[in-house]
Formats: sequence, structure tokens, C-alpha cells
Amino acid sequence: MADTGTQQTEARARIPNLAGSAFIFLILAALVIAFSLLEGTAFLSGENFFNIAVDASELLLLAVGVTFVIITAGIDLSVGSILVLSSVIAAQTMVALSGTQEQVQNFTYPNQAVGIPVGIAAGLLVGVVCGFINGLLVTKLRLTPFIATLGTLGIFLGTAQILSGGTNVPYVPPAIQTEIGSRQLLGILPVPIAIGLVVVIVAILALHRTQFGRYTYAIGSNAEAARRVGIDVDRHLLKVYTLSGFLSGLAGIIDVARFSTASVGAHTLDNLAAISAAVIGGTSLFGGIGSIVGSVVGTFIPAVLRNGFVIHGVQPFWQEVAIGIVLILAVVIDQRRRSAEERM
Amino acid sequence: MNGNGAVLQARGINKSFGAVQALKDVDFEVRPGEVVALIGDNGAGKSTLINVITGVLAPDSGEIIFEGERVEFISPHDARERGIETVYQDLAVAPQLDAVANIFLGRERRMSGIMGRLGFLDQSRMRKETDDQLAELQVRIPDLTKPLSTFSGGQRQGVAVARAVMWASKVVIMDEPTAALGVAQVGMVLDLVRRVRQTGIPVLFISHNMPQVFDVADRIVVLRLGEVVAELDPKKTSTDDAVAAMTGSLRGEERV
Amino acid sequence: MSYEISVGRRISRREFLGVAAAGAGVALLGACGGGGGGGDQGGAESYRLTLIVGITGDEFYTTMECGAQAAAQELGAELTVQGPEEFSPAEQTPILNAAIQANPDAILIAPTDRTAMVAPIQSAVNQDIPIVLVDTTIEREDLALAQISSDNILGGRQAGEALAKQIGEEGKVMVISVTPGISTTDQRKQGFEEAIEKYPNIEYLGTEYCNDDPVEAASITTSTLRSNPDLKGIFGANVFSGQGAGTGVRQTGKKDEVSVVAFDASPTQVEDLRRGNVDVLIAQHPNDIGDRGVRIAVDYLKSDKEPASKQITTGFTTVTRENLDKPEVQEYLYKAQC
Repeated sequence: MADTGTQQTEARARIPNLAGSAFIFLILAALVIAFSLLEGTAFLSGENFFNIAVDASELLLLAVGVTFVIITAGIDLSVGSILVLSSVIAAQTMVALSGTQEQVQNFTYPNQAVGIPVGIAAGLLVGVVCGFINGLLVTKLRLTPFIATLGTLGIFLGTAQILSGGTNVPYVPPAIQTEIGSRQLLGILPVPIAIGLVVVIVAILALHRTQFGRYTYAIGSNAEAARRVGIDVDRHLLKVYTLSGFLSGLAGIIDVARFSTASVGAHTLDNLAAISAAVIGGTSLFGGIGSIVGSVVGTFIPAVLRNGFVIHGVQPFWQEVAIGIVLILAVVIDQRRRSAEERM
Repeated sequence: MNGNGAVLQARGINKSFGAVQALKDVDFEVRPGEVVALIGDNGAGKSTLINVITGVLAPDSGEIIFEGERVEFISPHDARERGIETVYQDLAVAPQLDAVANIFLGRERRMSGIMGRLGFLDQSRMRKETDDQLAELQVRIPDLTKPLSTFSGGQRQGVAVARAVMWASKVVIMDEPTAALGVAQVGMVLDLVRRVRQTGIPVLFISHNMPQVFDVADRIVVLRLGEVVAELDPKKTSTDDAVAAMTGSLRGEERV
Repeated sequence: MSYEISVGRRISRREFLGVAAAGAGVALLGACGGGGGGGDQGGAESYRLTLIVGITGDEFYTTMECGAQAAAQELGAELTVQGPEEFSPAEQTPILNAAIQANPDAILIAPTDRTAMVAPIQSAVNQDIPIVLVDTTIEREDLALAQISSDNILGGRQAGEALAKQIGEEGKVMVISVTPGISTTDQRKQGFEEAIEKYPNIEYLGTEYCNDDPVEAASITTSTLRSNPDLKGIFGANVFSGQGAGTGVRQTGKKDEVSVVAFDASPTQVEDLRRGNVDVLIAQHPNDIGDRGVRIAVDYLKSDKEPASKQITTGFTTVTRENLDKPEVQEYLYKAQC
């Protein structure tokens, strides 16, 4: 007969790729338990967990975007630079439109009700454009993604430094911090976490339940096969890189909202952190495999480690060693599990 | 334009790669309800001919006639659109995806209404359709939800063949469909080929395996060094004759 | 052997051990690597202090840490030191947030941005943790118990005077700084500019920013020397700026023609001084900053009285090849480890 029973098949198929991330989740749970035992309520508190989540909110967006890209067997090294460029343009737009130079330097912002939304839109637009540029370089110029985004990493960051004069953007209207950066919905949920949640849910649906997600996996698994069945691979890749750019732009907005400035010298290692998060979460650099839940867990493992270590008082250098070891351990164990499943 | 009722015809096809002429003045056709085997030694041009007929490659000269009309296939998609399904030698499956996803690749069923317009897939419907179709074709696939990378080469080939047969409405083309298969699976594929023929859809396949060719083909076309050198009737010729034609000891006589 | 767990697939023994190993490893590492965060206190007198520097690996902050540790030991307090790998609020904030959770008795911090660090520091103050600002400051200085730094304007002026003397009070000079917006380096630049304004024959080319990257600073130096071959003096406003300027001068082979005055006295800079790539170092006293910071915190914790002066400045030592080996100067050279 053709199958082992449709019902059982249905049940298993309803959790696509989730079983893979279950293991990494166990590691995260183990860390949480270990630190809770070591530190008690200093670690195990709602406030601490919310802090961890807010502090990780930007990286989470980058990791989600990069997951899509890596699943297509590509990579995006420019995510940190797009974040910075978006934050600079968003902040400068807000400052420019919220009042005259004199008003703004005296900390009054008569037009911020217009300035702030337009600034946000500008920042998001920058993210989209930068992502689109990455996509064009990969599809039209046929540059390998590593090279293409290595180049744009420099171009976007350089542009940000030119625009900002190398300085953190001053005089940003504080309303963006009070309304978004530090605001808590219903008095409890910090807005950056809410934004992260929405993005994660939409991403999970898109990746695992829509044609867009299916094509993403297919192209990463075998781009030529996708082409043969008529999928417009170039057009899809363009969309994927644009998506990554958009999410980097959104992360830039959150950055401005949290810190009330655009930090030009920051986020230099965010690209590697985002890629690590995806890889820890089970996304394969060879394409075709990955999950959003995995990347979320992969974002939180280093975040929890750092948080726990600081609370415990471990020296900073040991923290980095430990995080590196956990990264390697997580990936090795996951790869062993995979090759046990596969046959050549 | 022509009246002999061939579904797919290639006329005067020439194709060169640099200094090497892979196909020379090839005339070739596939008629309704028949199984045609295309055989030839390595480098005879079999895969190239398939690639030209299915739109993967463009011929340097010559024409392709489909159901009486002259066509130009710019991409494999064009051929698919007309109901020509191909199982390529490299299978063209996505190993990280499962059987259902591969079978519906490029042809996904979406949900109805607004969810569908947003791109949401009707995964249960696709699973059911696959189940039903595979049952009808009597094809065994071990687990529809595991990625193809966990299958053996033979099982993957089974999925690729099932995919082509499920979707083809005019012609099924297979390039070495039994190459990686065990005995039982070979039997399954050959049965499948016969079943397809019964529906009236012709099957064209390339093979190196003489016993299988003689078992299932109605007509055998022999390619040698880019030219059609013989067309044989498997009922009237022997495997020795076929091999001789492939290697050049028999010169272009028996056209059927 | 395998274990069925409700995630729907079997976990092999190997995987289970792997997870257990990860958890145990963390626990072990935490136990030996730490300065003992949560949990026991030695007694009512043993205050727990946390110092958060601006960036790890910077000898200025390392020396500050040494001074702070020495003072803490003397006073019987426990000092933990943390810091980000990048000089940015995005990296420093999670560390500050976590440090707050450990509920220390006081936090000493070198904020990485005047505006961005206000919110997280406010949150510490809200939880009754007193803050001492060391080196850099924030817009809301009132939030802190005290602010301790070198008088950077004075230091800049000293640098300006020293450079003017080196170049014979005439010629082209430039400044290499970190990035605009950092209080300390901006003040040094200001002091420097004030000082050289008094010399009519000195032409000021302006300030370039290297983003705290010595490689960038070196590159700025070499390109400026290409477009202005008659450049006679450079002032590097912090450790990495000064180091980079020295490297750049050495790379172009112009160490005899170009005088470099650098702020800070890291081991690399002292080497540069000996070799003649740099001519004067204006050493801050980060040791004193760390020391005073700890003392002020502990005093407050003991007496519950705010310090008499909330703005404390520490001094400078001008270091030249001539006085380099004198003990009173050696004391103020920065250390790479305590």
C-alpha cells in the first residue's frame, strides 16, 4: 500500500522542522535551569527575562531575516550595516522634521508627531532599498552572496558614517523613546518584545505555511531543480534579500527608539551574531534546512549565557570562551543527529 | 502542417558545443500510445537530444513540432506547460524537502479565499492528492513526510518518476529512470511505464539496460555520434542487433 | 537506550548526556570563573561593587580596574569587573541590566554614550543602586552619586602646550579623536584648541575621527601626511588614537619630522615613545579614578552621606623620553594587567 496511514502522516507533518529545534531548545532550558539554581531570583525573575528579551530584540530581527537568506544557501553579512544606516537616516529625518535647528537644539520638538512617523518610514525604506541592492548584486550581477554582502557591508556602513559625520546623531526627539523604546503595552509588555513577537509569528507562518517559504527551502535545497519546475529563482532571491534588509531596517528603528540616538560605531559584530544564532538554531549554511523557532532559540542561548555570567560575576573573557564552546557543542551535536538520519 | 499524428517531433536538429557537434541532423518523433526507447553509447547525444526537446537547451538549427504546431521551448517551463513532463538524469528533486513538496514543486495547491491569495498552502489537500495518485499508480513511497535526503537513491528516483507521471498530460520523458534501482523497484517503474502507455500518453525513455528496453519498448531509436543510425522493432530484432547499431557495426538499415 | 519525550521523537542517550553536559559545564564554569555573584556575603561590612568599563582590552580601563581592585581589597569590599567588547550602548546595556539583577551595593560605570545610557542607568537608580560615573558621563549627571574623571580640558591644554613646544611653536598640526559625542575626548580636543590658539604661527588643520580603531587612526595619519607633507604635529586624543598616530608616523618613515603628542600611556604607546614614533604622552591617572570611585562608593554605603563634592577630577603626568624611567612617572604608565 502507498502509505503508513494518512492520519499519522498528518500529525507528523504538522510540526515541520520543529523536532530539529526541540533539541536546541533543551539546551536553552538546561542553561536557564542551571543559572536559576546558581543565582536564584537574581536570574529567575520576570524583570530579568524581559531585560534579556528587550536587549536581544534587535538581534532577533536580524537573525530571522538572515535565516531566510541562509536557507536559500545564501548569506547576508551586511545586516549590521543596514541597521546602522537605517538608524542614522531615521534619526536624522526625525530631527530634521520635528522642528527648526534652533528649536531642536533647545530640545523642543513642535512637529514630532509628523517627524517621528516619517523618520520611521524613512528608516524602513532604507532597509528595503539596501536589501534590494543586495538581491540585485546576487541575482543580476551573479556575485556570490558572501562577496556581495561583504561589499555592501562596507558601502552601507561608510554611507552611514558619511551622513552622520562619524558621530552619534544628537537631538533625537525623546518621544520615540517614551512611545516605543521604553513603552510597555498594557503596562507589562515592552514594545520591542511585542514587535519581535509579531515578526517571529509572521515569519513562522511565512516560512512553514506559504508558497514563499516553500520556494525558499526549495531554492536552497536545489536551485536548479526549482528552475526546472518553473520557479523564478532570481525573483524569489530578490524578495528574500529585500526581506532581510527590511528586518535590519526595523531593527535600526528599534535601536533609535531604545537609545534615542543612532550609534554609528556599534553593531559591528551583529552580522556574525545573527548568523551564529541561525546556525545554533539548526539552519544549515548549505541551504534547505532551518527554522525560525530554532533561530529564536539560537539568539537567546548566547544572550542567556552572557546575562547569567554577568550576574554570576564571571570575567568577560571567560564568557566569550564559554559562548564559543557552547556554539560549537550545539552545532556538533545537531550535525551528528542529522547525519544519523540521512543516507547518502 | 503534418498529418501523421505524432505528438512530438524533432526535425533536422543540430546542436554543437564549441567544436563538438553533439547532434547532427536528427529527425525523431514520439507517437501517441507508444513507448519509445532512445539508446546509444556514451556520448552519442541522448541526453542532449532530451535537453533540446524539453527546452533545457536551444538547438542551433532545426525545429520542434508539438501536436502539429511548430514550437520553441525557451525553458523547461514551456515544455511543462504543454504537458511534457521529464525525469532528468540528475532527478531535479530538492533533497531537503519531502515527497509531497517535491511532487507539487512549482504547482503548489493554495488554500481558498484570502489565505490562498496570501500564499498559504493547502498542505493536507496536497498530501491527500499525493496519497491518492500514488495509490492509483501503485507506487510505494516509504514516508511522505521525511525529506528525500533520508531516502535511498532508488527511492528518490521513484519520487521523481511518480512526479512526472502524475503531471504529464501529453508526453512523459525519462532519462535513465532505472539506473539506481533494485529489482523490485525496476519492476515498479516498468509497470508504471506500461500503465502510462495505456492511458494513451506516450513515453520516451533513455536507457543503457537492454533487457529492460526490449521488455517494455514498442520502438527503439539508436543514436550514434549525434546521428540517428537505426530504428528497431524490439519484436523483430535482437539485443545483439541493437548493440551492433550502437557501436557501428550495423549501418542504418532497419527503419521501421 | 533511548528516552521518549513528548516532543515527539526519541532522544538518544548521547543527546541526553550532551544536554546534561552543557548544563553541568555552565554550572562548573560559573562556579570557578566567577567572583561569586549571588549568594553568600562575608558579613555586613563586605560590600559588593560592580565596575562596568567602556570596552574590554583597553589598557586605560584595565589600569582603572587595578586601582579599583586595590582600593576594594584595602576596604574589604568585593569588586566584580565587566565590560562590553565594543564601545557601544547596545553592547553595554545588557551588561548593565544583568549587573543590576545581581543586586550589587553600588555600580561604577564608564558610559558609552551620553544620551543612550541615561535610561539604563536611571533604571539602576530606581532600584536603589547608587551609581558612580567613571571617566565618561551622561546627560543626566544628577542621577549619579559622583562623577570622576580627569580634567580633560586641562589635559588637552597640556597636550597643546607640549606639542607647541615640540614643534618650535610653528607649523601645521591636527587632532585625531574617537568620535564626536564622547565627553572626555571632546573636552581634550577643546583644551588642545584653546592652547594652540595662542600660537599665531601654528596652523590647525582640524580633527579627524578614528572610531576608537588604531588601524583607522594610522590610516588617517598616513593619508594626511600624503596631502600635507609639511604636517609637523599630531595630537591623538585617546589610547587607540595615539597608538594609531604613532604607527602611521612610523609607517611613513617621518618620525623625525613629525611630533606626536598622544593622550594616554598604554604599553604600546610607551614603546612608541622609546622608539621615537611618539614624542610626548599625557598620561591620565585611571588608577586614581578607579581608586577614588571605589572609596566614594564605600564611604556612601557606610555613612549614607553623599560626597562633599560630586565632581572629582584627577590629574595628569607628562611623560617624555627623558623622564620615562623615573619611578614617579613609571607609577602612572598604564598596565595591560594588574
